[in-house]
Amino acid sequence: MSADLYDGAIVVSILAATLRTMTPLLFSAMGELVTQRAGIWNMSVEGAMLSGAFAAYIAIATTGSPVLALLAAIFAGMMVSLLNAILTASLKVDHFVAGLALNLLAAGLTLFWFRAFISGRGQPTFDGLAPPDWALADLPVLGPILFAQRPLTWLAFLCVPLVWFLLYRTRQGLELRCLGENPAVLDFKGVNVVARQYAASLFGGAMTGLGGGFLILAFSDRFLPDITAGRGWLVVVAIIAGGWRPLGVLAAVTVFAFLEALAIHAQVLGLGLPHQLFLAAPYIASLLLLTHLRHRDRQPALLGEVYRRGER
Amino acid sequence: MIRIERNPAPSAATLALSYVGACVMGFAISALLIAATGYDPAEAFGAIWQGAVGSQTAMIGSLVKATPLILTGLAAAIAFRARLWSIGQEGQVYAGAMAGWCAVLLVPDAPALLLIPLALIFGAAGGAGLGAVAAGLRTRYGVNEIISTVMLNYIIVYLLSWLLSGGAWGEVGATVSYQQSPPAPEAAQLPNFDDRGRLHLGFAIALAASLACAALIARTPLGFEIRALGGNGEALRRRGVDVGRLTLVVMALSGALAGLAGIGEVLGVTDRLRGDELYGLGYAGVVIGLIAGLRPIGVLVAGLFFGGLANGAVFMSVLSDAPAALAQAIQGVLLISILCGGVAARTRLRRTVAHVG
Repeated sequence: MSADLYDGAIVVSILAATLRTMTPLLFSAMGELVTQRAGIWNMSVEGAMLSGAFAAYIAIATTGSPVLALLAAIFAGMMVSLLNAILTASLKVDHFVAGLALNLLAAGLTLFWFRAFISGRGQPTFDGLAPPDWALADLPVLGPILFAQRPLTWLAFLCVPLVWFLLYRTRQGLELRCLGENPAVLDFKGVNVVARQYAASLFGGAMTGLGGGFLILAFSDRFLPDITAGRGWLVVVAIIAGGWRPLGVLAAVTVFAFLEALAIHAQVLGLGLPHQLFLAAPYIASLLLLTHLRHRDRQPALLGEVYRRGER
Repeated sequence: MIRIERNPAPSAATLALSYVGACVMGFAISALLIAATGYDPAEAFGAIWQGAVGSQTAMIGSLVKATPLILTGLAAAIAFRARLWSIGQEGQVYAGAMAGWCAVLLVPDAPALLLIPLALIFGAAGGAGLGAVAAGLRTRYGVNEIISTVMLNYIIVYLLSWLLSGGAWGEVGATVSYQQSPPAPEAAQLPNFDDRGRLHLGFAIALAASLACAALIARTPLGFEIRALGGNGEALRRRGVDVGRLTLVVMALSGALAGLAGIGEVLGVTDRLRGDELYGLGYAGVVIGLIAGLRPIGVLVAGLFFGGLANGAVFMSVLSDAPAALAQAIQGVLLISILCGGVAARTRLRRTVAHVG
């Protein structure tokens, strides 16, 4: 009987952790989905998320305000995606090269800035985002899973139908999808292709930055140089594995987050497997997903292709 | 009126000018960055310079630091030349170190003359094997190589961490959190050219590899196919070249170079297997390959430069409290400015005379 209770508590805890770890991935994935549908193969997601997390850290360590920290995270994510848009949409640099370069830039800058920030005084810790303390959170089972979550987690889930609505039920969404399929049509119509690609990039960067901010404020009380640990890349995988559709992306994100939640509980689960296997599970799963799900036909036709007026 | 237009084939002088301009710009931005974090840029650059080339010991230290960077830079350049955007160099460094370590574990009592070549061959094969996995994922399953290599990078780092902490390779009696193997047998240590600074055999390998890669790309049929794959894979396929096989060869070659960098660090510098000593070498190689314009001799130059920067930055961090991570920040800034410089070189401004009447 008590063993059952204990098992039940673990399952509840894993599910609650799944929703929590989905949050940063979902924010970023919904944002980058919009960016990719606009034809930008953004490979700088990891860098944008890391920058968001770092900006949130600096902001909360100096001001103590989670709101300012989230705004700083959004701003930092937008800066990275702005650079990516300048390099890809304006300067027509290869999308892969631009993304790689920005990841390396973000990793180098945040590492240096972080070391400079803590140099000589040790690392300040902070109080991040606490889950709400209300009566619903005390409900059995559902309370901890659904209601003891931070409001941003609910917002992240709300983003899925919102982005779906934006993409498929609005004029802007139709034009946005057209950017990734046939930008020349929009150009003929007099729509500014480059400006739209900037807008889509900035939206993606803002959402990824917000994800990075949530990551540090909800999961940690300090900054670590590799705090994003490949989550930005998992977002890219989730978009591909989800076939560039909001619901598919949601499903892929759920898989990754569940595996990450299992890793958090590896000790309690006590399966006798190496801890590192749990940590590597999302990356192994992503390779399996990519080898077994093939949505080439759903990929935006001109994803990653440089658009130049009058060519092609 | 001035029109901006593309210039697909800029002259050598334009290219050189844009390159120098981009470097100046990169250093100016880096100086601003240093100043913004409260340090004196002149002092920081001075300390880096002194730590990089200020004495014989410093110079040797810079060459030691440059060794793995040249090899991973070549690994990136070879793959990118074929437009295979592999960033698996990071994981391949680890795979090479681990495979080479296997050789040491297999025949720990062998003489140096046997053990060292064996470890180097194993190291190259380990890196090549991991590269081949990414090639297979791309050819068989159409998995984008950037993504597969990033995932493999994370997986291999966790594998090493497991082998060293919970698994069979950790040093008995040492704290688990150290994550290191016992020291390598003396016969496995790479021979040195200089006893104080430990300029090891790996440096000669890196030099030779640069020349070999330059010759390979410029003068061999394989080099031609690599360049052709980077230009137009479809044309190559129509000519009857097996693109899948070519992808495999390129990725394995690139992986072998990165694997050599890994085993070189283990047997030439740290004398034992440790994950933290290998961290970031592969990503730095990506920067170096791109900055060098994917040219092997350029990689050699850029690798020496960034080796000096890394060595100088450590010296600077000892001298003042400015963090050595400045080297990584400068790398990133220089990379972006040189990318932009490349764009500038391929753009020209033309004054157009307004037609009258």
